Amino acid sequence: MKRIIYILLAIACAGSAIGYYLWNKPQKDMQAAKADMAMDAAALFNEFNTDETAANAKYLDKTVAVSGKVKEATKTEDGTVKVSLETGSEFGVFCELDPLSQHARTEFPVGETVTFKGICTGLNFDVQLTRCVEVK
Amino acid sequence: MHKRLFILFVLFALAAPTFAQKYFTRDGKVRFASKASMEKIEAVNKSATAVLDATTGKMEWKVLIKGFLFEKALMQEHFNENYLESSKYPNATFKGEITNMSEVNLSKDGTYTARVKGKLTMHGVERDVETTGTIKVAGGAITVHADFVIKCSDYNVKIEAAKVTNISNEINVSVDATLNQMK
Repeated sequence: MKRIIYILLAIACAGSAIGYYLWNKPQKDMQAAKADMAMDAAALFNEFNTDETAANAKYLDKTVAVSGKVKEATKTEDGTVKVSLETGSEFGVFCELDPLSQHARTEFPVGETVTFKGICTGLNFDVQLTRCVEVK
Repeated sequence: MHKRLFILFVLFALAAPTFAQKYFTRDGKVRFASKASMEKIEAVNKSATAVLDATTGKMEWKVLIKGFLFEKALMQEHFNENYLESSKYPNATFKGEITNMSEVNLSKDGTYTARVKGKLTMHGVERDVETTGTIKVAGGAITVHADFVIKCSDYNVKIEAAKVTNISNEINVSVDATLNQMK
C-alpha cells in the first residue's frame, strides 16, 4: 500500500515539474535556431504579393533566413531596431531585431547586403519578420 | 479691376485640386493586457500599420497577430493556436474615422481629443467599436494614443471555465503611433 502511495506521489511530482517547466519555458533562442528556409528579400516579397494565402501557408511561423540590400535601418524611441530590405518596390521586407537576443551590431549601412534569420509573421504592406538576428 | 481679380482668384481656388493628405506608419505599438485573479498576461506588437487621411479623418489600422510577443513561449503558442487561431486569421484590422473632425484640425499643431468610430475585425468577427483617443499634431507628424477594452467573447474567443482565473474576458488594449506624411 505504502509503495503505491509513493509511486503516485512520484508521478504527481514529476507531472508538476514537467508542467512547471512547460509553463515557464522561455522563448526560443534565435541565435541557435536553424532557419527553415533561405530566401531572397525580393523573391519573398513577390510571393506574398502574388498569392498571400499560399505565402502565409508556406511562411507563417517559419524561421526564414532572408537576404537583401539594406534599404533603411531605423531605431524607435524604445530601442526597437528595424531593418528594411530592398525589394525594388515601395514596400519591402522588414526585419525587427529580436529584443531577447544579444546582437553583434545594431547599425546597418544602407546598401550593404545582409542576411537576417527571423520568424515570418505575414504581410502588412511589408513582409514582416520578428525576433530577427543577423546571420553572418 | 478688383472684381475681375476676385473672380479669377475664386476660379483658381475652386480649380485647385484638393489633395487628401495621407499619413502613414509601420511602427504602431499595440499592447494588450489581461488581468485575471491569478495571472497577468501582457503582449506587445511594434509593427502595426496605420493610414490616416488628414482631411476626412478616415483611418485604417492593421496588425499581424503572430507579431505579438509574450514573455512566455507557451502563452504565445496558446494565444495563436487555441485562442486567436492566427494561422486562419493572421491579422486584426480597424477601419473607421474621427467623428468629431470639427474639433480636430489635423493640419494645425495642437493636442486634440478625438472620438473614433469604426469596424474592428478580429478572429473572423467584425464589430462596431467606438473609443476616444488623443491626437497630437506637431512638426508635421501626427501622434495618436488610445486605450480601450475589448471582450474576448465578442470575437468568438472562448476561454474555458478552467482558465477563467488566468485569462480575463476583458482585455485592455493600448495603441500608440506616430504617423508621417506619405510621399
